Amino acid sequence: MSITWNRLRYGARALLGRNPAGRRLTVFPDDVFIVSYPRSGNTWVRFLIGNLFDPDDPITFANVESRVPEIYFFSDQQLLARSRPRILKSHEYFDPRYKRTIYIVRDPRDVAVSLYHYSIKRKTIPPGYALEEFIPRFIAGEFFEYCGSWEEHVLSWHATRKSHTGFLFLRYEDLLAHPEQELAAIANTLHAGVVSERVARAVELSSAARMRNLEEKHSSEWRLTRGTRQDVAFVRRAKSGAWQSELSPALVSTIERAWGTTMKNLGYDLLVDGDRELVKS
Amino acid sequence: MTSLRESLRRAVGALATTGRVLTGRQIAGRGVTVFPDDVFLVSYPRSGNTWTRFLLGNLLWQSDPATFLNIESRIPEIYFNPDRFMRALERPRLLKSHECFQPHYPRVIYIVRDPRDVAISYYHHNIKAGNIPDDYPMASFVPRFIAGEFDRIFGSWRDNVLSWMALRQGTPGFLLMRYEDMKRDTVMALSNVVAFLEGCSFRQIDARPEALHRAIELSSPERMRALEKEEGGQWVLMKGTRTDKPFVRSAISGAWKSQLPPESVAAIESAWSELMLSLGYELAFQAVASTVASRGEIS
Repeated sequence: MSITWNRLRYGARALLGRNPAGRRLTVFPDDVFIVSYPRSGNTWVRFLIGNLFDPDDPITFANVESRVPEIYFFSDQQLLARSRPRILKSHEYFDPRYKRTIYIVRDPRDVAVSLYHYSIKRKTIPPGYALEEFIPRFIAGEFFEYCGSWEEHVLSWHATRKSHTGFLFLRYEDLLAHPEQELAAIANTLHAGVVSERVARAVELSSAARMRNLEEKHSSEWRLTRGTRQDVAFVRRAKSGAWQSELSPALVSTIERAWGTTMKNLGYDLLVDGDRELVKS
Repeated sequence: MTSLRESLRRAVGALATTGRVLTGRQIAGRGVTVFPDDVFLVSYPRSGNTWTRFLLGNLLWQSDPATFLNIESRIPEIYFNPDRFMRALERPRLLKSHECFQPHYPRVIYIVRDPRDVAISYYHHNIKAGNIPDDYPMASFVPRFIAGEFDRIFGSWRDNVLSWMALRQGTPGFLLMRYEDMKRDTVMALSNVVAFLEGCSFRQIDARPEALHRAIELSSPERMRALEKEEGGQWVLMKGTRTDKPFVRSAISGAWKSQLPPESVAAIESAWSELMLSLGYELAFQAVASTVASRGEIS
């Protein structure tokens, strides 16, 4: 039944040219992709890049989809009509066709906390849902099946594209600590000869405080937050290390047991480092 | 004028897609429905995937040998068959794919082949497919092969192999097979596949030595060539390609030593030395000091 319904819906959308592009997107060699696992700072980077290129018309939640569109909200046809080079937001695991990619990785313990609140906002889990139930499902990659798990997502890009030209691997934590320095690196990857005042201005226009204000204004119009609970914020703490107060040591250790090696290799210190001797740093 | 033509082209395309979707004939491809007991036969193109399909087809359906006509209904290729058709197959299913790492593939038999041999085979395949002319210089083809310019969605040989190795090597549910090992000791290779499949909830497979030998015999290059001559024209994989060029080619390993110009060998080796060495492919030219890529190793 659901397959028939899906087929009908897909067919009707195909007729109107309205199926979301997603992995079926037509990719051009000059496309720039902002890629990350969900809840890893992608929207912030969209603001940063958008504001870097056009500081006179700052990014808001009302115009972000027309400036740095998300590939899941538009059909291939709609995206083909955009002027090039396009800057696109994606949550895809490794896609060999992407030639210019800014990849953002974030401490999975913080991703877990952020995704937990976001899932309540999206009503995929009820408020007060036990974190003990949530974390194993997060590790199994259940909330965004098309993305794989956090580790699969990160490794699929890192193993294949690390140190390739046109690929920039960014840690969300570094972006928080030195936004101007990291945004300059982004500009460099995009071959945008950008002056430092512009970088500073873009960082200011994309601050968490400003983004929160903008969210309050536009939340009910923005594709990503429309229909979600308006009492739970999309722009949350925009900090790193929230897991230390929000996750129990047992849950932290569940995540670290699953992905410890990868986490350490990315520079995320483990709370419970049982096999310190065994893991190469 | 062009935009009108373009709009028309799109409209016709959309109508065709809609028609295929509504009648359940839309090709599955990346959108294939995956069941938890599926086993995917994955490789970069021209790495022995069809041979493996024949070997398994002949072993799993011993009373009715594999042909180019029945293989698509037994071990179908996801790029040529509609999802609806494949959903109706008996489970657990075996499906052929050329995708780079896919997180939702539950079990994977990955076949890897020496990229220097893949280059030669792929070169001829692209002539057959009409992508390059007969006299296209190998020296021009190889850089494009390295860049992954043919069949872009599958990435380059390195993209494809490394994406799977980095994520799945050494995990349960992943079997890595080298084409060269399959050629050298097919009985052993096939026994490994049988053990893997039986570990994947496949019903018990008759893999007595005589059954293995018969399956190997029925999948020999000679027999596959004869079958291709007879029925190749009706096989989906070859529709629209040149009939004067065979799909089943030399079916040997090491052809690059005599057929690939030294500069092309050097180009491939310098691009992919690290991964080639980690797979046991010895380099003809001096190797750069390199480390072996393995799961989870990042910095």
